[in-house]
Amino acid sequence: MSRREGSLEDPQADSSISPLPHLEAKIRQTHSLARLLTKYAEQLLQEYVQHQGDPFGRPGFSPPRLPVAGLSAPAPGHAGLPAPERLRLDAAALTALPPLLDVVRRRQAELNPRAPRLLLRLEEAARQARALGAAVEAVLAALGADETRGPRPEPAVVATNAAAAAPDAGVFPAKVLGLRVCGLYREWVSRTEGDLGQLVPGGPA
Amino acid sequence: MPAGRSGPAAQSARRPPLLLPLLLLCVLGAPRAGSGAHMAVISPQDPTLLIGSSLQATCSVHGDPPGATAEGLYWTLNGRRLAPELSRVLNTSTLALALANLNGSRQQSGDNLVCHARDGSILAGSCLYVGLPPEKPFNISCWSKNMKDLTCRWTPGAHGETFLHTNYSLKYKLRWYGQDNTCEEYHTVGPHSCHIPKDLALFTPYEIWVEATNRLGSARSDVLTLDILDVVTTDPPPDVHVSRVGGLEDQLSVRWVSPPALKDFLFQAKYQIRYRVEDSVDWKVVDDVSNQTSCRLAGLKPGTVYFVQVRCNPFGIYGSKKAGIWSEWSHPTAASTPRSERPGPGGGACEPRGGEPSSGPVRRELKQFLGWLKKHAYCSNLSFRLYDQWRAWMQKTHKTRNQDEGILPSGRRGTTRAFT
Repeated sequence: MSRREGSLEDPQADSSISPLPHLEAKIRQTHSLARLLTKYAEQLLQEYVQHQGDPFGRPGFSPPRLPVAGLSAPAPGHAGLPAPERLRLDAAALTALPPLLDVVRRRQAELNPRAPRLLLRLEEAARQARALGAAVEAVLAALGADETRGPRPEPAVVATNAAAAAPDAGVFPAKVLGLRVCGLYREWVSRTEGDLGQLVPGGPA
Repeated sequence: MPAGRSGPAAQSARRPPLLLPLLLLCVLGAPRAGSGAHMAVISPQDPTLLIGSSLQATCSVHGDPPGATAEGLYWTLNGRRLAPELSRVLNTSTLALALANLNGSRQQSGDNLVCHARDGSILAGSCLYVGLPPEKPFNISCWSKNMKDLTCRWTPGAHGETFLHTNYSLKYKLRWYGQDNTCEEYHTVGPHSCHIPKDLALFTPYEIWVEATNRLGSARSDVLTLDILDVVTTDPPPDVHVSRVGGLEDQLSVRWVSPPALKDFLFQAKYQIRYRVEDSVDWKVVDDVSNQTSCRLAGLKPGTVYFVQVRCNPFGIYGSKKAGIWSEWSHPTAASTPRSERPGPGGGACEPRGGEPSSGPVRRELKQFLGWLKKHAYCSNLSFRLYDQWRAWMQKTHKTRNQDEGILPSGRRGTTRAFT
């Protein structure tokens, strides 16, 4: 594959094999999925803040953007990375999100038991993140760029290690945490959409 | 003071699951050494309070550099800044708050009480749960569909508004033996309902009650005792057909089938019919349709579309003495009476099909007359059927005469031919 970022062209490829149409289709498909999930992630965020009460959801409400163990927001330099590296980071984040969304859903089931739509959206978000992560990894495999770069901690292992040491949390911090996780979900799905969009033939290089 | 059977009001939230703490290593309330950021802790954390009670809270600042001050801190509740006179500085690092006469919580996840730094940044938060303990649920009613299940509905006490999430649990047990069971399928026919799908005994009484629980206490309804056989209902009668009765412009015939699920048990079923004119919302109900699967509506308006529904009450199943429970109405079935130039009487009642004894006074007298004729005039072919045929013939000839004479419905003469 060419080193030129955002391009699928490979002048040295054996044209008789021509895996390109299949790869292009895969990228388009995954990009469409990411675009759809970006919309759903936005809806999830709206639904979430509505059920936590003011000041959640108010313009200007900004609790500290403290890091969530196991996942951080896309780095400022993300867009400058090579395409395969961006997609690897996208896939890693999408893999880390489902257990976090599950934790948020369980807590919200206690705090907002009569918010079935919110609980359903959280459950669906975990499934969607898994699906999109798997699709991105399939694209990476098709690109021949799916080797892992060094050990990545499994989110579940991190969760287990830290669970015993962490203090019990109050309701307000749990609400803030859920907001953070929903925000991260939206950021990463949107980021994935952007990264795939650059690979779509005819899209921006 | 809290009502209900539990003790004093709870003062803290339920503990969150262990997995959650992983993610809360770095969230509000947890100190971060060397970060340079001030953090704080609000006390009490997530209190539960009665409506109208007071709250004393503190926001204690700690962090880096040492000596973080309480000066400039302020409180918000649900995003609204609280008046400065409600706060006071207890010491250099602690700001106190006094709230009186609290209103019920705005959302079930708790009211958000937040401690802010001078620049508006959030230092800590605590969620307040202000409400009422549940009152006794009441008005429990239950019914069994075809003796296979049991659905119950109830009314929450105090009109249901406790401002706190209140859990309702329907419990049941066999009266003379057995353990308490808990219904599991909630909200089947409304927010305060539950469905028990199987494993119900007949010919033995059940005790049924509802328990309501929230953070401030619990309450239990009175016990309802019933036998499944006394609260049986069934599906609406299927295959309801409505049709004209020959050319009779004021009658429609209604036929239906006994609900199949109970067809072997419906020895004394009652039925009700209701009907209305197409563009009306007023239903007329025919009550006395007992244990038969057909009926004739009479006294209807000619040339009018009618909607008809039927329902069934399977009372008396297995000897039950109770009144039984009406099924839902069948889907509406429509039919129109034949058109006539003579205005119809407008009213209606259910009449039997031809050949059966009449319920109206005219037909009763006619029956008597026909009976006398048969006996004294040897008119063996006389019957109600013949009478109805005569009526249809009369109407037909009346129409034909009117057409020949060019008589319009209003009675005025003209050249327009009236067709039905």
